[in-house]
Amino acid sequence: MPIPATRRVTLAAACAGVLLAAACGTGGGATSGKSGGLTVWFPGNSAPEIDLVTKTLVPEFEKANNVKVEITYVDWGQISPKLNAALAAGTAPDLFGHGPAAAAGFVRTGRIAKLDDRVAKLPAADREDLAAYLEGGKVGGGQYMIPLSGQGTLIAYRKDLLTAAGLDPAAPPKTWAEAYEAARKLTVKEGGAVSRAGLLLQSAKTQRVQTFLTLLASEGGSLLTAGGDKPAWNSPEGARALEYFTRLYQGEGAVANQLGADFANQPAAQNPLATGKAAMVMATSGQVIQIAKARPELADRLGVLPPLATATAKTFGGAGPGLFLNADSKNQELAWKFIEFMLSKQVSERYARAAGALPVRASAASGAYAAEQPLLKPFIEAAPAYVASPNVPAWVQVRDVLDKHIEQALAGKAPAAQALAAAAAEATPLLAGK
Amino acid sequence: MSVITLARPAAARVGPRRPGPSGPSRRRRLVGLAFAAPAIVYLAVFQLFPVLYGLYLSLTGYSPLDRGAPRFVGLDNYLALADSAAFLQSLKVTAQFVAEVLPFAVGIALGLALLANRKVRGIGLWRAGLFLPRIVPLTAVSLIWLWLYSPDGWFNSLLAGVGLQPHDWLLDEDTALHAVAVMRVWKALGGNMVLFLAGLQAIPKTLYEAAALDGAGAWARFRHVTLPGLRPVMVYVITVNIVYLAQSFAEIFILTGGGPLGSTTTTNFLIYQEAFQNNQFGSASAMAFVLFALIFAFSYASMRGIGRRS
Repeated sequence: MPIPATRRVTLAAACAGVLLAAACGTGGGATSGKSGGLTVWFPGNSAPEIDLVTKTLVPEFEKANNVKVEITYVDWGQISPKLNAALAAGTAPDLFGHGPAAAAGFVRTGRIAKLDDRVAKLPAADREDLAAYLEGGKVGGGQYMIPLSGQGTLIAYRKDLLTAAGLDPAAPPKTWAEAYEAARKLTVKEGGAVSRAGLLLQSAKTQRVQTFLTLLASEGGSLLTAGGDKPAWNSPEGARALEYFTRLYQGEGAVANQLGADFANQPAAQNPLATGKAAMVMATSGQVIQIAKARPELADRLGVLPPLATATAKTFGGAGPGLFLNADSKNQELAWKFIEFMLSKQVSERYARAAGALPVRASAASGAYAAEQPLLKPFIEAAPAYVASPNVPAWVQVRDVLDKHIEQALAGKAPAAQALAAAAAEATPLLAGK
Repeated sequence: MSVITLARPAAARVGPRRPGPSGPSRRRRLVGLAFAAPAIVYLAVFQLFPVLYGLYLSLTGYSPLDRGAPRFVGLDNYLALADSAAFLQSLKVTAQFVAEVLPFAVGIALGLALLANRKVRGIGLWRAGLFLPRIVPLTAVSLIWLWLYSPDGWFNSLLAGVGLQPHDWLLDEDTALHAVAVMRVWKALGGNMVLFLAGLQAIPKTLYEAAALDGAGAWARFRHVTLPGLRPVMVYVITVNIVYLAQSFAEIFILTGGGPLGSTTTTNFLIYQEAFQNNQFGSASAMAFVLFALIFAFSYASMRGIGRRS
């Protein structure tokens, strides 16, 4: 039966309306401001962590509080773009996870809530237990991020390879100079190129800044001035640190290969320490534990060095990723309850175990997790030596500038002192807020 | 390739002005408009508006983290690009990447199309096999090639097989861009080949028969029949490839992250960094419009250049 024209117009208009509504609906996303439930974005893609959080912890919290929690895991590489877009659109989640380096930028733009009053209401024993890593969530003295775990980098090594090279695995290097000398003995070269690295430090994008910070702090230097408004890396300590880093890759004395390779994010079984393509590798606690899990036959052959010293013993570490409370959230009370839940003694230890990270509570050093993971012990003991990236608003841009010039030096394109001076000249206006 | 031209009847163009639409005709127009409305609204909201908003942002200073509105800065963002070493370097990298990929992606695809344009057993399987890379997402292809180029990957296994040292293809400033280009050529071949194949099959057989009768050999037939017959397809393939290649991002993001030493930082990748890492949307939008202008100019030049010869 033919449809009259007027009805066809109505029908077409209705179809258009439905299609438009559907098209507009595709732009949805987070639900900040929903008064009923809580929205949380976690960064990362660790399967054990995602399983624990989504299948165990969140259902426990939902049951205890009779609420709905919507968890979204966002890959690290995408967390900033997605958050920026969501914050601009007013659709950001109530709580979101990010690294401490992002804190100052969010503070400057007023996007995250200050948490000092809420932290002050925690039991005194809890505050003391959490104190070491809470410090890493502060900007300008104020608490803005609650770390869920700690992180640290140390040098892990293969005892069997040290033995084969005539070194005593029971008396491993204690200083960066000794580590280099050991690395020379451990390095294997074929056709003039390093085929087995004696010592591999992290040299991928942004990771090389963390490695430089480790070497710089060990020399007694620092990245920024005390006020955080000027670069301090272009110092004699900085030049020595970068020269050491460069020497690992360049010249006759090279002991490392794969400059720029992101082996820290490779599957554990492919880590050069696991494959035997490196004898000593800079790694986090999570990486070392994962290597031991992926290659159980290596578990007894792995060792971890305490922080190496030059003038002093320091290494990159401190507060790990944590939770930020969206300043525009209409669920701030519930969001804080979720943070408290994640910080509780039982939950925080289970979370650290799943993430392979350092427990956020000092008391966990004598807990079950630390006891069952002997490779974790050196990382927990190293906590006083951890030095973190500066919490200043322009840090991400400053880090990228420094990263670019460190890469130039590592590739042998510029002398260390010259690269650091160029980085300082480029970063100074950024730090001054220009 | 045949071209169909639609022309209005002469009477309609020169006749007296017609009266306004009658009732049923008007209703038909309204119905047509209603059916077209979703597409018009979609294009306006999701295509036109973002472009115009991007143009507006390029004249402002804006960070999505700031609560304030974009701050108008006029042409400052565009003027700053002229002095930006990173931007100029990215244009150079982008141009080099297009120049490395385009000749091979077009030339080899044409050769494959000539081979696939034969009536032999199993030709369908051959064509499907060649087209396969086209339908695999670029991200997935990039991940596969990331493994192929890895220290323990397929290329280094080949080197080891002939007694050569492995090479860090994607970590060496001298090989990274070439390595990405090789992958991109492989990815582009299938799509280009199918277009050329369609073009080849549209060339009338009678032209080849006439040329053969005139004593033309295989090369002469290719040069004087095939190439002129493929010219419209060639214009399309080259233009579309320039447009796609100059906007390369996914393969760079996955394979090299713009490194080493910025040797693979294409303009599109720099735009991403500027917008989403540095939160400088104004500057990133200005870069995007400069890139758009350059792509438009090169595409137009290639269309005019090849089209004029036809």
